[in-house]
Amino acid sequence: MATNHSRKRKGSGNNHRPSKKCAVEKEDIVDVMTDSERKPNFSSLSGPNGVNRNHASPLVANKPVSTRKLIIKNFKDKPKLPENYQQQTWDKLKEAVIAIHKSTSIKSSLEELYQAVENMCSHKMAPLLYEQLRVLCDEHVKSNVSQFLADSVNSPLYLKQMNTCWQAHCQQMIMIRSIFLFLDRTYVLQNSSMPSIWDMGLELFRVHIISNRSVQNRTVVGLLLLIESERNGEAVDRSLLKSLLRMLSDLQIYHEVFEVQFLEATNQLYRTEGQQLMQERDVPEYLMHVDKRLNEETERLLHYLDQSTKKALITCVEHQLLGDHLSSILQKGFDNLMEANRTSDLTLMYQLFSRVKNGLHELCAGFSSYVKKRGRAIVINPEKDKTMVQELLDFKEKLDTIVSDCFQNNEKFILALKDSFEYFINQRLNNSRALAKFVDSKLRAGNKEATEEELERLLDKIMVIFRFIHGKDVFEAFYKRILQRDFCRKSASVDAEKSMLSKLKQECGGGFTSKLEGMFKDMELSRDINIAFKQHLQNISSPDNIDLTVNILTMGYWPTYVPVEVHMPPEMVSYQEIFKKFYLAKHSGRKLQWQPTLGHCVLKASFSAGAKELQVSLFQTLTLLLFNGTEELALEDIAHQTGIEDTELRRTLQSLACGKARVIQKVPRGKDVEDGDKFVFNNEFKNKYFRIKINQIQMKETAEEQISTQERVFQDRQYQIDAAIVRIMKTRKTLSHTLLVSELYEQLKFPVKPGDLKKRIESLIDRDYMERDKDNSNMYKYVA
Amino acid sequence: MADDEKREQMEVGSGDVDINDKKPDKMFGLKKWNLVAMWSWDVECDTCAICRVQVMDTCLRCQAENKQQECVVVWGECNHSFHNCCMSLWLKQNNRCPLCQQEWALQTTGK
Repeated sequence: MATNHSRKRKGSGNNHRPSKKCAVEKEDIVDVMTDSERKPNFSSLSGPNGVNRNHASPLVANKPVSTRKLIIKNFKDKPKLPENYQQQTWDKLKEAVIAIHKSTSIKSSLEELYQAVENMCSHKMAPLLYEQLRVLCDEHVKSNVSQFLADSVNSPLYLKQMNTCWQAHCQQMIMIRSIFLFLDRTYVLQNSSMPSIWDMGLELFRVHIISNRSVQNRTVVGLLLLIESERNGEAVDRSLLKSLLRMLSDLQIYHEVFEVQFLEATNQLYRTEGQQLMQERDVPEYLMHVDKRLNEETERLLHYLDQSTKKALITCVEHQLLGDHLSSILQKGFDNLMEANRTSDLTLMYQLFSRVKNGLHELCAGFSSYVKKRGRAIVINPEKDKTMVQELLDFKEKLDTIVSDCFQNNEKFILALKDSFEYFINQRLNNSRALAKFVDSKLRAGNKEATEEELERLLDKIMVIFRFIHGKDVFEAFYKRILQRDFCRKSASVDAEKSMLSKLKQECGGGFTSKLEGMFKDMELSRDINIAFKQHLQNISSPDNIDLTVNILTMGYWPTYVPVEVHMPPEMVSYQEIFKKFYLAKHSGRKLQWQPTLGHCVLKASFSAGAKELQVSLFQTLTLLLFNGTEELALEDIAHQTGIEDTELRRTLQSLACGKARVIQKVPRGKDVEDGDKFVFNNEFKNKYFRIKINQIQMKETAEEQISTQERVFQDRQYQIDAAIVRIMKTRKTLSHTLLVSELYEQLKFPVKPGDLKKRIESLIDRDYMERDKDNSNMYKYVA
Repeated sequence: MADDEKREQMEVGSGDVDINDKKPDKMFGLKKWNLVAMWSWDVECDTCAICRVQVMDTCLRCQAENKQQECVVVWGECNHSFHNCCMSLWLKQNNRCPLCQQEWALQTTGK
């Protein structure tokens, strides 16, 4: 290639070159071939081309411009290097290297020096050159160590000195390498065991300076001191740190010399800091501090520490400041933060905890125990029953926002929230009742208190709570009881109730709501019946002008009451009979059972102060109507004439004579109705309203009533279990006991004991719904 | 609780005002009457002898299939009653009343 090049030039006759360049290159060649007779322009061409110049250049020189043909002949004599060439060249190079070491100016031009190296390499002097260079550098570096051995300087200065020395060394080595580049590229490259010139420089620096025990120690201690003072908030020279740490990693001793000690120091610092601050600061402050520390350390990594330290360093900080204190942080501050709804602090806590192992797990556990504790407090106190549901809704909403804002909607937390709610809500059976009452009160208020959308939203929230309740059937039972009362008094907001119903249906399936739906259907049917009955009355010329409405309820859908018999005035009885006839004529095969406890009336009453209308229950009506004939009645008379059960009667009388609106008077006066008490019509009764509602005195939704509701629930559960078993067996035909039981647990919406299930299965086998397999008593077969 | 009841009841029925005072001689006169009754099948035995569920409740098969509204009651000439669906299954095997062994003759079906 090089020869070609020169030949072409020759052949074409264009052997003139830009003179400036020639001048420089001519000098180069002089060193190599002092005996050459060539023209300067030839040498300028062949000089840089190097390798083949021994053969090519003289040939070309022999044939000047005159000839066209180019003949290449060998040298007659092999050109020789001057005797002392090697020594001379090395001296020149040595001088240059020493100049570099001393930071003085180099006499020869860099180009010349480079050429010299190249030539020496070409003449197989590379090993020698390398060795000489090494020795030279070795001596220089060795001489540098002395400045670090003196005790006098203080640590920051010492570091600065070290840095200067290192920087100088690097610069020198870069310079030297540039000059000896050819050596690096050929000789070193071919000998893989040889370190490059740069690496050699590092090696020398390492061996002579840093490996010196006291130097190393002072440097590292100095660095650690510097970092510690930065950690204590002082401003330090970060570029110095960076440079020295780079030095360590360049020398490949960063890890063993610095990092290990650094991490040890960090560990210790943060261990004490963590322990101390946990005592001194409250949790939010502590967390802020931890966050600040982490940020600082990250910045430190960014600015001067080696990236390889990152993981170990951050883990160390996290471990010492957080990992060791997880439970105490939670114990000390979590509940307060939750209580005060400190979302930003909680967010920070989540972020920090998510960094350490087990952190989220602990946080989640703390969260769930808080929810349980707090929730239990809401639920367990019977005095709070009235506000309980509202409190629960608020509580749930607050927790939901915390989970979504602070805990990033982490599924673990959502689940924990759900579980905890489920746990505490089912601490008391009564919650179903409270919830049912709450739903009822909201629905009854209906559009008066809230718009439809608000009501819908509220119902949705209630459904969330409802979902947590195990005994959903208990809720149903109480809800039914409340509905019944409302229906019979026409106080239900049908739309709202229906919306609730559809939600319940969605949640629990058709089986759950079928009875509730039946109740609604009854109400609609009753309306139709009443219209038909009114028409019927017009046809048969009824005796009285009493406005009679009847609610016909399907037995089984509605909560049942013990039937009671009361004596009614003949006109009322006859009226009742008219309806009964009318109804039974329309529906064959049915019978009616009156429910006096649920009926109510409007009475016209005339007092001396004027006429009034009284809204009263049927029992109150019967009692008051007795006073039409007489002035005074004894308790026993009333009991005899009405046939109302004793305690019920006493309550009724109490409401009429001892309540707010006293339309009759008790003699003697007193709060409770005693045996032998007499009652008189209160003609002086005054009230600013025309229509007056006289409340029945309720036995505090009596224990009795609760028990009966619960009994009914228990009964219903038996049927539900039976139905579920039949349903499952019908689809599966044959099924093992365990599988059947597990499917049952999936389907049933209330807690059941396995023993109870077994009893139901036995009973169904008795009734031939299913049978045991003849060969395997653990298998059941469906019997069609 | 009792307070709660009262407030709830106060709101009830405040809509229809009717000043009507024809019988001053009587201190109290009935003006409006809201009567509540429960209906049930008029049966001698309230449990269906075939499925042993109360006749007012839906038979188990209908409960399982969620057909509560369709499960009515039948009476035979013998005056025994069963769920209609239970009885129709029964009749496929045996045309006698399961209680009295008389030949089954339909008297009425509930509606």
